[in-house]
Amino acid sequence: MFLELFRWLEVNLPAGAYLRESTYGFSALLTVHVISLCMFFGLILMMDLRLVGWGNLRTRAADMSARLFPWQVVGFVIMVVTGVALVWAQPLRYYGKTFFWWKMGLMVLAGVNAGVIHLITTRSSAAWDSRAAKVAGGVSIVLWTAILALGRLTAYEWFTTEYFLE
Amino acid sequence: MLLPFFKWMESLAVYDASIYLGPGVNIVHLCAMVTFLGALMIVDLRLLGVGLTHQPVAVVANDARPWLIGALVMLFLTGIPAMMATATAQYANSIFWTKMYLLGLGLLFTFTVRDRVALGEAGRAGGSTAKFVGLASILIWLGVAALARLIMMIPGNTFEWLVGPSVS
Repeated sequence: MFLELFRWLEVNLPAGAYLRESTYGFSALLTVHVISLCMFFGLILMMDLRLVGWGNLRTRAADMSARLFPWQVVGFVIMVVTGVALVWAQPLRYYGKTFFWWKMGLMVLAGVNAGVIHLITTRSSAAWDSRAAKVAGGVSIVLWTAILALGRLTAYEWFTTEYFLE
Repeated sequence: MLLPFFKWMESLAVYDASIYLGPGVNIVHLCAMVTFLGALMIVDLRLLGVGLTHQPVAVVANDARPWLIGALVMLFLTGIPAMMATATAQYANSIFWTKMYLLGLGLLFTFTVRDRVALGEAGRAGGSTAKFVGLASILIWLGVAALARLIMMIPGNTFEWLVGPSVS
């Protein structure tokens, strides 16, 4: 369904060809993507560990969430900008990657789960330590770990279809 | 000098048992990296005077410590076989050596200077010493992660001006 769109993007995105062919452009993007995902996922993980009750227990979960949020956002924004740029450089390559689409799907689920955590915990301060919050924290760890793994697996040739500009 | 050792490591062919071994170990290495940097940055941000500022540095650092150490152990357990599988290419790659030197510096810095400041009384929260240590720690370890990503991706001689050529 999106194939024609991705073909069009491959041809028409400005600077796409430069990023595709340069020695350092794509490498630099990938490196910044990894660094920013460490910041984002690392701090999300610290918060999730607190939610589940596995770590950082002397800090209240509500404080953990509120005070780390701006820094998670910084990581997230850089991660998304570089992630979009990576697809920008090779739209057809990513179109043919099954793992890439799974990753996008799980990111939507992770977003929904973050919304669920927000809904659970806005009810009361005690809700931060509820069973529901624990489960949602665990789900967050599982989803983001899977997203990380799928991102890495995209680099291999498994479940890959090659598309060409006719 | 170390080349025979690297050749021997590669000859063990640690990944030959299965094509899934390399990617699998790599993914565990990445999970450990994220955990390590999360447990590191939560403290470094605190040292910089942001994040969990309502808590003493030592409380944040002590709570994060099991995850920091556990993740570091896992990084070594997964990083060593990954290096062994392609040992001679790593040996000849200046980015690999730059990463190893920066890793050495990071370990030394983390378990001497940073520990004293984060776990002891040396770093009064928000002081310039604490801020310097927090910033240096983030930069060193993000540098290690960045170099790791760049090995085998940009030309291997990129950092030869820094660490010298590896003579085979």
